[in-house]
Amino acid sequence: MAYPYRDDRETTTILSRHMGEPEARSLSGWLERGGYEALRKAVQMEPDEITEVVKESGLRGRGGAGFPTGMKWSFMPSEPSGPHYLCANADESEPGAFKDREIMRWTPHLLIEGCLIAARAIRAEHVYIYVRGEFFPVIRVLNQAVVEAYEAGYIGESVCDSGWGCDLTVHIGAGAYIAGEETGLMSSLMGGRAEPWMKPPFPAQRGVFGAPTTVNNVETLASVPGIVMNGSAWYRQWGSEKSPGTKMWCCSGNLTKPGNYELELGLPLGEIIHDVCGGPPEGRKVKAVLPGGSSTAFLTADELDCVTTYEGLQEAGSALGTASPIVLDETAEIVPAMRRIAQFYAHESCGQCVQCREGTAWITKILRRIEEGDGEPRDLDTLYDLCDQLTGRTICVLADSVVFPLRSSLDKFRHEYEALMRRSASVAT
Amino acid sequence: MSRRLHPAVAGAQPFQLAERDPDAPLFGSEEGRERLEAILSRYPTRRAALLPLLGYAQELHGWISTGDMEEIAEVLELTPAYVWSVASFYTMYNKHPAGRHMIQVCTNISCHLNGAPRVLEEFLEQTGTVEGETTEDGRFTVLEAECLGACGFATAVQINDAYHENVTPEKVAEILASLDGPESS
Amino acid sequence: MTEGNDLINLIIDGIEIAVEPGTHVIDAAERAGVLIPRYCYHPGIPSRPAQCRVCLVEIEGQPKLQPSCKMTVTEGMVVHTASEEAEDARRAVIELLLVNHPLDCPICDAAGQCMLQDYALETEQLRSRLHEEKLVQGRDRIADDILYFADRCIICTRCVRFMSEVAGDETLIVAQRGDRNVIDTFPGRDLDHPFQGNIVDVCPVGALVHEDFLFKARFWDMDQTASICPGCSTGCNVTIDVKENQIVRVKPRHNPEVNSYWMCDHGRKHLVMSNRGERADVPLIRPDGRLVAADWSEALAWVADRLLEVTGGDAVVSPDSANESLFFLRELLDRLGIGGGSFRVPTGEEATLAGFPKLALRAERAPNTTGAELFGFARVDDPAPSPAGAGLIVLEDPLADHEPEWGGEAAFFLYVGGRLSSAARNAHAVLPVTGFAEMEGSFTNFEGRVQRFHQALRPPGLARPAWMVLSRLIAELDLRRGAETRTETPLEVGQAFAAMAVATPELGGFEWDSIGPKGARLVAAGDAVSADVA
Repeated sequence: MAYPYRDDRETTTILSRHMGEPEARSLSGWLERGGYEALRKAVQMEPDEITEVVKESGLRGRGGAGFPTGMKWSFMPSEPSGPHYLCANADESEPGAFKDREIMRWTPHLLIEGCLIAARAIRAEHVYIYVRGEFFPVIRVLNQAVVEAYEAGYIGESVCDSGWGCDLTVHIGAGAYIAGEETGLMSSLMGGRAEPWMKPPFPAQRGVFGAPTTVNNVETLASVPGIVMNGSAWYRQWGSEKSPGTKMWCCSGNLTKPGNYELELGLPLGEIIHDVCGGPPEGRKVKAVLPGGSSTAFLTADELDCVTTYEGLQEAGSALGTASPIVLDETAEIVPAMRRIAQFYAHESCGQCVQCREGTAWITKILRRIEEGDGEPRDLDTLYDLCDQLTGRTICVLADSVVFPLRSSLDKFRHEYEALMRRSASVAT
Repeated sequence: MSRRLHPAVAGAQPFQLAERDPDAPLFGSEEGRERLEAILSRYPTRRAALLPLLGYAQELHGWISTGDMEEIAEVLELTPAYVWSVASFYTMYNKHPAGRHMIQVCTNISCHLNGAPRVLEEFLEQTGTVEGETTEDGRFTVLEAECLGACGFATAVQINDAYHENVTPEKVAEILASLDGPESS
Repeated sequence: MTEGNDLINLIIDGIEIAVEPGTHVIDAAERAGVLIPRYCYHPGIPSRPAQCRVCLVEIEGQPKLQPSCKMTVTEGMVVHTASEEAEDARRAVIELLLVNHPLDCPICDAAGQCMLQDYALETEQLRSRLHEEKLVQGRDRIADDILYFADRCIICTRCVRFMSEVAGDETLIVAQRGDRNVIDTFPGRDLDHPFQGNIVDVCPVGALVHEDFLFKARFWDMDQTASICPGCSTGCNVTIDVKENQIVRVKPRHNPEVNSYWMCDHGRKHLVMSNRGERADVPLIRPDGRLVAADWSEALAWVADRLLEVTGGDAVVSPDSANESLFFLRELLDRLGIGGGSFRVPTGEEATLAGFPKLALRAERAPNTTGAELFGFARVDDPAPSPAGAGLIVLEDPLADHEPEWGGEAAFFLYVGGRLSSAARNAHAVLPVTGFAEMEGSFTNFEGRVQRFHQALRPPGLARPAWMVLSRLIAELDLRRGAETRTETPLEVGQAFAAMAVATPELGGFEWDSIGPKGARLVAAGDAVSADVA
């Protein structure tokens, strides 16, 4: 588990400060690094006070949608009529994203601390960390940390001797991307197929086990201890008004130095790709970037001056998503890459909604046919039409996720599709 | 190998292991009963223990048989059909016995861009199998996997509960050699 | 009567409508005369997963199309079910369903009553853009009499949800994921539930098929008749499908008061088999020791003459007979001075439908025990002893389990029925009557609900409804006893029912036409009188 690359520039690290330090995994090592101080502080605070600080900090959900975390917490009933639950979404499966895995495998106590603080804020009595099943090495590290934290009184009947109690359970998935969607996660946690459900009811009204629930991403929760410890103004010194703080950037694809980098929100995308990650190997040129993971729209080499905030990437016609830029250099081919992405979503569709179940699979078949040289120009019209049909018409956004890269690839790299068209067809048109 | 697990993690044990005992009873042993009770104590419903128990069955047996599903259905007061509905949704549950070394090669986008299809081919060629098939000696099953969440370390390969990162076709022989031989079990 | 402000006002496709709060848009639309396509939604199944996405509509003020099965109405809501966007989405859902659906309509049992065919037509799927191979998943047996054609399945999950939510039996499930999704049972454990046949009815396509109907008939070659299941005393409302004068299929017909959308498997099988076998199709009389065929007027005259000679006797009836038949038999017996009369009820194990507990396969396996009791016949357990020396009239009890010589000692034995068992052949006269699907009439179910059934089959030969035969016989008898005018005899069931209702206070002055398709409950005899007085 070598930690391959570091950002050699002067940058602030909150989440990744102790990555690469095996000692930080143990409770003693974590305490030496100031661990659980924020939790000690939080148990002395009123739940709403905690929510207020997080609200003021402007922290936004790091799982992809970017919803303001404090606001999400404030949807939970302030006078519980039964149990409340917190689900830590550690089902990281978006192609391109590998940040939660890093947080958990290097600093599991950071996540645990964040979970307990959040649980206190939303008055949860039990935290479930839903970890992706494939992450066995990570699960071992996390389990060890949880047991240690229980034994030392950071989880359990009286957290930090405060008299306030909260339990935490590690729950592992078994290979289903859709379990990372919040209602899918709850369906799965309740012992079901990870099928998303239509909202309302919203999780804060009726979530897991029928009780008010908040689902937060690992990185979101890991950002919380720092904010509670140092205040919202401290957190807001980084990033922009609408996108404050720092963020893990999972950089992959054709890069000299791929890996995880914690960066202040708001750097130009090109700087991350070239200065931080060394650009494509062997001096090749960037062809395209999926800036927020496989479910975000392609940007071309000409569009890399956009600013990496939630709003900046939206303005550029893409999205920050999970902040997982996947870089394709000039040797990469768009159509096979797009086919591989579509294949993933088809494989992972839960199959409830017709558009998603049939559409993602059909798109994959069409793309494969084009890739194999048997495409016709009218296939592109069909693909565009399918993009329309898979947008905003299903229970969850899995179908939309394939449309963002697909539509942008058709818009921006149409020539690559056309170059693969069956010769007879090309001649005919 | 009785070991008492903290209830908080009793349902979250790695379940893709090389070592397993196909004949071990699920809940007939003390360890099994302890595991069941520990898991049940963490959820307000019995049904919620389903995924943890399916994982436990695979941890023990290497795969999940219809008998396992029936037994789990019984302790959770579910129908076997319901258990099958859930088990079949998740790709990590082996519905057939798998090789002692389950080799899963990620071919998703980031790995794809870094030569994953060639890594997969190499594994298949060197084990002499087609995708999803188990070698005759029961050692290897090679699968094409969806994103393993190690995109910065392409190509990512998961073998049982261990990750192998930055795998290139050239490293395949060495990796296979490092796994145990046909005689050990 | 209803206060306007209790209702929610909305506009659907320009039609103003007011409905109760909590009504879903898809149901409100139906009341406005707009039928929104649907697959996963079924009004008899509680859950609304909103997953087929074919009922998406445009609701003003909502940025996205919304599933009308899931959305409840709000005051002032403006819904467009046929806007360009809604129609486009609907067209796409159908096209996407056809990506993997085989075009095997020529050999599909659902052809002609398939909601995928219908919507493909409605959305004008003129040309396929599909160049890909379809996924092939094959077919599977999921119950001893039900087959599952996975390729035709559109995963609406109605069958799964019927079983779990209505039948209370979680043995039918969705297995696998994504476009590999199939409906399945646990390996080696087929469905085994007394109400499982309903999954075939709720299937909107030809994915679930009753094996005994497989390749039997095209929908358009069948005649459909509204009827009542005679399988037990519940009286489920059904539709009988007939091809070439054979009942080939029975499906439940909605009646919220009786059976909702459902019926049991016993009823289906019972009804399909009920008209098979050898039948009496011509009047038979025994003028000189041997049964010989006669025409109706000859037979009725001969029987009337013989009946005049009879003093006292007994009657055996069947709880399978219609109210009208039982009524006219009672009239005849009164004229002959014969009281009493009995009937037997076949019984079986009871089975209740958990999600609609009013519906059960009842232990009483006959449709009209209440009617038989209403007309003064007594329920007995054992076959009546063979009477000697007196008159004996049997109505529709096939006497199948009686001794072969039963009835032979009677002074005069009249058999009014459709099946000639050994005992029935001892009769002095046989008047052949129609079975229940061959006539019109009514049954009174276990809770006193009078329900009409209609004629689905051509009767065999000269067989006529028992109420018609018996009323004619009464007229012949009256004539011989010096009646000045011929006693009126009903020509059609409405008249028979009217005669019965006039003489039966519990029928509360009902008329054949006023019972309506949902049936009408008997009233207590005292109430009926006071109602008449009022």
